[in-house]
Amino acid sequence: MQRSSFCYVAGTPVLETQGLTKHYTLGQETVRALDRVDFTAVQGDFAVVNGPSGSGKTTLLNMLALIDRPSEGEVLFEGRPTRRLSEGELALLRREKIGLVFQTFNLIPVLSVAENVEYPLLLTKTPRGERRGRVAARLEEVGLSGFEKRRPDELSGGQRQRVAVARALVTAPRIVLADEPTANLDSATGRQIMELLQGLNRDHCVTFLVVTHDPSVLDYAQRVLTIRDGRIQGEEKRGAPRPA
Amino acid sequence: MARLALRNLSRNRRRTLLSAGIVALGCALSLVVLGFVERSRALIQETTVQQFGNLQIADPKLLDGKAEGFEYLVSPAVRAQVEGLVRPERGVVGTTAQLSLSGLLAVRRTTAVVRAVGVVPENDVLDYNDLVVTGRGLRADDVGTVLVGQTLADELGLRPGDFVNLTATTVAGAFNVSPLEVVGLFRFSSAEVERAQVFVPLAFAQLLLATDGVDRIVVRLDRLGRTWAAARAIGARLAAAQLPLEVRTWDVLSPFYRGLSGFFDLLFGFLVAAVFILVFFIVLQILTLSFLERTREVGTIRALGTRRGEVFGLFVEESLWLGLAGGGIGVVAGVGISLLFNAAGIPWQPPGTVQAVTLGVDFTAPVILIPFGVSVISTVASAFLPAYQATRVSVVDALRAV
Repeated sequence: MQRSSFCYVAGTPVLETQGLTKHYTLGQETVRALDRVDFTAVQGDFAVVNGPSGSGKTTLLNMLALIDRPSEGEVLFEGRPTRRLSEGELALLRREKIGLVFQTFNLIPVLSVAENVEYPLLLTKTPRGERRGRVAARLEEVGLSGFEKRRPDELSGGQRQRVAVARALVTAPRIVLADEPTANLDSATGRQIMELLQGLNRDHCVTFLVVTHDPSVLDYAQRVLTIRDGRIQGEEKRGAPRPA
Repeated sequence: MARLALRNLSRNRRRTLLSAGIVALGCALSLVVLGFVERSRALIQETTVQQFGNLQIADPKLLDGKAEGFEYLVSPAVRAQVEGLVRPERGVVGTTAQLSLSGLLAVRRTTAVVRAVGVVPENDVLDYNDLVVTGRGLRADDVGTVLVGQTLADELGLRPGDFVNLTATTVAGAFNVSPLEVVGLFRFSSAEVERAQVFVPLAFAQLLLATDGVDRIVVRLDRLGRTWAAARAIGARLAAAQLPLEVRTWDVLSPFYRGLSGFFDLLFGFLVAAVFILVFFIVLQILTLSFLERTREVGTIRALGTRRGEVFGLFVEESLWLGLAGGGIGVVAGVGISLLFNAAGIPWQPPGTVQAVTLGVDFTAPVILIPFGVSVISTVASAFLPAYQATRVSVVDALRAV
């Protein structure tokens, strides 16, 4: 991956929330999953949102990923409000500018490794030659060259998550959002994945926002935000991340 | 997306095979029935044209059965004028004239009411001599001869060489009777025609009715398909010449054909609708299950930026491939079954007919394309609802699906 030109404007806000609130109605009761969250992810960030189960981490990630809509407040992407955007406009924004890594990898089982990574490029209608080049480069970065034709069920958990990371990066998004990326992996493999993300952040200036309850992930963060009961309880700036 | 749609079909091969099998079964069944209907229809068309020619030109009062006397008769001058108007039409093989009369056929002490059709013997258009199974046909120099249907001959105990008397009323209203020699017995596809119709030379019919007119001019075309265009063109010429005559096509002239053809259309329409509904609902069930199982995957691809319409298109495309595969297999299976059926040469005597026909299945483009198209359309249509439902689930809920 070429070092992105975004690195030269490190510190530019990519994602911002203003009074972000999400509540659900369960019978007679209203549950506030998120409560007036204000948060900014800037270019080059490696931020980790940490909190226990049910604290609102995944709800926050869903809002930031533009796959769920807030009850109140606003999510700004590159300074642009997203609340009034249609489903189709949000989908276009996601396919071009947001990379997603899921806890359970969420690869398409009938597609090969290369085809899984290629999928977002098909959505952006990237020319065939460019697609092939990008897929090869991303797979090399995540250490899966030679695995192009394998199916997901022929890979280990760590390899699958690497494929998911390659898929998230292939469109050169402004930000990659990862939801518990190490939760389904053993600790050694989880460490490898986090080192991979950290390397991509350090070497290629990819902006990451990782949501996790795994304390070992915090070691890789530049910023750690603690969330509890739907509220950001505090933020810890850690400066330079742990060397890989 | 096409690749993903195709690969999705390989997820659960047993289910895909079941779906394709149902589509194929519906397609094959429709193809065999439609092919059979078309073969039967073609046989009936052939015998109908054999009976009526491609076109008949006559006074509408005669054609509609509303004539009270003989005012419908076409004089020799008008007949010549009509033949002159018909001849330039493309595909016209020739014309002939007929004069029909109702009379009493008497042999010994037995009589029968018959319709005697006066024809020009040995004409190239329609002389019925090819129907003769015993004796000989009418000859150009014949006058007092008659062809009798096998059924009537059996009832009256007639054989070639026997003499009968035919009594009729002349144009002027007088009784007239003349002896006729039975020269041949004919068989026809319809028992009714065999029992009630005889063929006599036109000259004899004119003599018996004391007229030089004819009641209709029959036109033979080189191809059945030209019938309707020729009818329109000749009709226009007749109107331009201010002749009070009308052109009727063979299918209009035969109520039997119209009724049977309509019945065939209804039968096939019903079958197609049944197959469509059956395939639709069975494939709907299968696709609904298949799509439901992929709810989480739908959530994933939508989270990656796939729009609802694209997800819908993906599922519909998947069903299109399924329909094409099932329809293709169905066509191959249907053609195979039909070939076996044709090879078996099963004889069948339709009700009201005198000769058995060999059952068979025709393969024309519509016979193959209609069942194939219906199968594909019903399969694709069955995907609409589950595909729509799949796209309506929120991304977050879809990602949570197990």
